[in-house]
Amino acid sequence: MTTQILQKVDHSALKANQITIITLSLLAFILNIPALVVFVAMVMGIGSLLKKPGFVLLYYHFYKPLGILKPDVLDDHPEPHRFAQTLGFVVLAGGSIALFLGAGVLGWGLVWLVIALAFLNAFGEFCVGCAVYYWLARFQIPGFTKRAPAGVFPGMKPKREFLRNA
Amino acid sequence: MLSPDILQRALISFQIFLFGMSLYLLFDSNLRYDFLARRLLADLGSIYRGTYVLIYFSNPTSAVCNTVQRPAIEKLRDLLGSSLQVLEVDITKEPELTHRWKVPSVPATYLINPRGELHHVNYGLAQAEELLLQMFIG
Repeated sequence: MTTQILQKVDHSALKANQITIITLSLLAFILNIPALVVFVAMVMGIGSLLKKPGFVLLYYHFYKPLGILKPDVLDDHPEPHRFAQTLGFVVLAGGSIALFLGAGVLGWGLVWLVIALAFLNAFGEFCVGCAVYYWLARFQIPGFTKRAPAGVFPGMKPKREFLRNA
Repeated sequence: MLSPDILQRALISFQIFLFGMSLYLLFDSNLRYDFLARRLLADLGSIYRGTYVLIYFSNPTSAVCNTVQRPAIEKLRDLLGSSLQVLEVDITKEPELTHRWKVPSVPATYLINPRGELHHVNYGLAQAEELLLQMFIG
């Protein structure tokens, strides 16, 4: 059985990433700029490779200093969130390819899928990509080793431990 | 001036946003609770009205249920005495009830207020202090 050691994960950094993805993808759709979709996909892809939220620099240099987001550090597994970002990158990359091949409906449909799931994650506190990760882990797929933190529904944001040692 | 194409896309975005928000609100906790309450409170015919009732779904093989959630509920019961009625449901013995209440995982706690209304739902661990706040603040 895999050792389940939780790490400190700043969920505000994840939220900043999601808000930025939503904003830029929306702008790309409204202004009809497929290149912006490519940019967002690239940042997400690079973030996945570096094992960080793609727009984490914006969190540290914009959201946090301006007080838009405050740190929200919780005991969690970072791997499912990285997987979710990787999934987002794959879908956005697919959307970009579709857009540049002239399949506008498919391309923008995939972009909107990413917007919707990022919105659900940021404001509904449910990460679909994380839920997929935990589902794959249940079937012991190689590479998917983590289980949802105890008492947390797979994909839901962990709760802050209330009045610890009160 | 914005081009008609941009305006049209902005309008489409707004419509998609409205649709998404409608879906979200449909499953919003309060609405969901009312839906669940109308369908399920018939199960609570034996509940003594006038107190808070905590329905606690657990699994005997769940370490979290046995070592964390149950002590938290006992702590709350010690604190509140007869003001709180606790009903524990073993999901392995009550699969139909568990299915009717759409319990996705354990531990799960459903808080019923003294008026017999579904007040709050926790899917996952809920500490005593959190349940107490939910009872009196909402």
